[in-house]
Amino acid sequence: MKQKIKVVPRYGEDKIDRLYLPAIYNGMKITLKHLIRNVSDSNSVDTLEYPEEQPTDITDRYRGLHRLTHREDETIACVACFMCATACPSDCIYIEATTREDGEDEKMPQKFAIDTLECVFCGYCVEACPCDAIRMDTGIFSIIGNSREDFILEKDQLLSHRGIFKEEHSRARK
Amino acid sequence: MTLAAIVVSIISFVLGALLALLMIPVLVWLERRGAGLIQDRLGPNRTNVGGFRLGGVVQSFADVVKLLLKEEYYPSHIKRDRWLLIISPMITFVAALLAFMVIPFADNITIAGESLPIQPLPVDYGVLWYLAIGAVGAIGIFFGGWLSHNKYSLLGSSRAGSMMISYELPLGISVIAFVLTYNSIDFNSMVAWQSGTVLGFLPAWGIIVQPLGAIILIISLFAETNRAPFSVSEGESEIVAGYMTEYTAMKFAMYFMGEYVAMNTASAVIITMVFGGYQLPWVSTEYLLSHFSYLAMGLMVVIPIVVYFVIGWMRKNNAVRPTVISDGSREFEAKVLSIVLVGMTILIEVILLYLILSPSTLGSAIAVTLLQVVTFVVKLMIFNLFFILVRWTLPRFRYDQVQHLGWYYLLPLSLLNLFVTAIVIVGVA
Repeated sequence: MKQKIKVVPRYGEDKIDRLYLPAIYNGMKITLKHLIRNVSDSNSVDTLEYPEEQPTDITDRYRGLHRLTHREDETIACVACFMCATACPSDCIYIEATTREDGEDEKMPQKFAIDTLECVFCGYCVEACPCDAIRMDTGIFSIIGNSREDFILEKDQLLSHRGIFKEEHSRARK
Repeated sequence: MTLAAIVVSIISFVLGALLALLMIPVLVWLERRGAGLIQDRLGPNRTNVGGFRLGGVVQSFADVVKLLLKEEYYPSHIKRDRWLLIISPMITFVAALLAFMVIPFADNITIAGESLPIQPLPVDYGVLWYLAIGAVGAIGIFFGGWLSHNKYSLLGSSRAGSMMISYELPLGISVIAFVLTYNSIDFNSMVAWQSGTVLGFLPAWGIIVQPLGAIILIISLFAETNRAPFSVSEGESEIVAGYMTEYTAMKFAMYFMGEYVAMNTASAVIITMVFGGYQLPWVSTEYLLSHFSYLAMGLMVVIPIVVYFVIGWMRKNNAVRPTVISDGSREFEAKVLSIVLVGMTILIEVILLYLILSPSTLGSAIAVTLLQVVTFVVKLMIFNLFFILVRWTLPRFRYDQVQHLGWYYLLPLSLLNLFVTAIVIVGVA
């Protein structure tokens, strides 16, 4: 059987390339062009003047800060099944379960805390959740605090975050 | 020694120290901003003192404060000879600084019949001084790398050493060719030689008289300063940070600043030997002195035009985009700087007008000297910018490629250049 062999051309072997200087000249021409363009009009540089300008291109697949979703009656959707804490590769989710008294479900978390200093924002907790109770669609990408304790998000904080996309309530628990 | 000689030598010494030391923060800033703008970023532009950002230069001073406040850390495996660990960056720094001190910033100024050099160290063997003292800088790198007791440091310093050996040869030989051409080892007479013309219309700069020698000189000096594309001695991708691996805080900063001083020195040597030094092209110092009133009138026209464009550029670029609400007092800064620039222009215009109306030899001599210093600084900045541009354009050479280039290309080419130069000079004589 005749094999098809694609010969990739090799550059840099002939005499002109071995002089280096023509290639260096060409490279310098490109960088100098960029330098002159940006020096003559620095506002044409396509960057964000963060923090005055905030990013506008956060898509619905962006993994921002976590939130706990609500049912349609604005109660917590989580049933404290510990799936997320089990799936978490960095062991940053702490859950204490308690009995749910309002009759909607049997269990709910009494304490649900995420240590965002440990979290690697992999999104496995979102994938693992059977109740669509934890999501990362808040679009929050920066967390600020003065002490380590400030970065441990408690249940109330996680519930207070809202999604920035259309889906607000848990799809699994009505 | 007359009073004038003492004053001129003190002024030129202060000028040399300022040009070498004050250039460090400016070069660090220029490198970071330049890198950013080349890569379509902005670079550091936020740090300010009372709203004055000066394009971000203030960032360098914040960096210095940070480096001074950092912990003085010594690796525990370095038991003895810690003082050498501190001394070695200083050797590099001081060698680069001393090598800068023989560069003439302007032509000899004649005050009351006495010719006084504008050179911090007024020696007439500047080339030898530069070659001797500039090579000492490598010793600091050997000591630092060897004393660190670290294989990466040792590799880095051995690379620096072998590169120094392979590039000192083409550098020295190309310098000999220049010495033959200019018939002098004094930087000042080299510049004086270059103030003429060749073929009637081209400035007699080294790059035009000796193109091959000039290219070899520039490449070798790039290698001497350990900068990209010859930064194999600190190749992060292979040997962490080379000889600087175990260095922290101000000790590291000494190496870092030494690199910038060495780059500044190399730029100064290149422009002095190859690009006409402090001279404007086509005109010599005697011509400038004898036609001073025309020169002053020309400057009176040129300076306001330059300042007008600088202010326009500043007002355009020292502004935030319309999407940003707070402008961080940039408009105020641009206004104050414009007023300062206009005030300085008016002052210079008045002084020039005074010199035209009541001509005096002393006044015109000082004015021509200042003009040459400004020319020197502008050329120096352009060449430093060239260094920066090269660093952010070219990838790092592999270590064997560096040696290959040095021994197989530059050394034979520089020998050829030397032979051709010698034959031509003997033939002309």
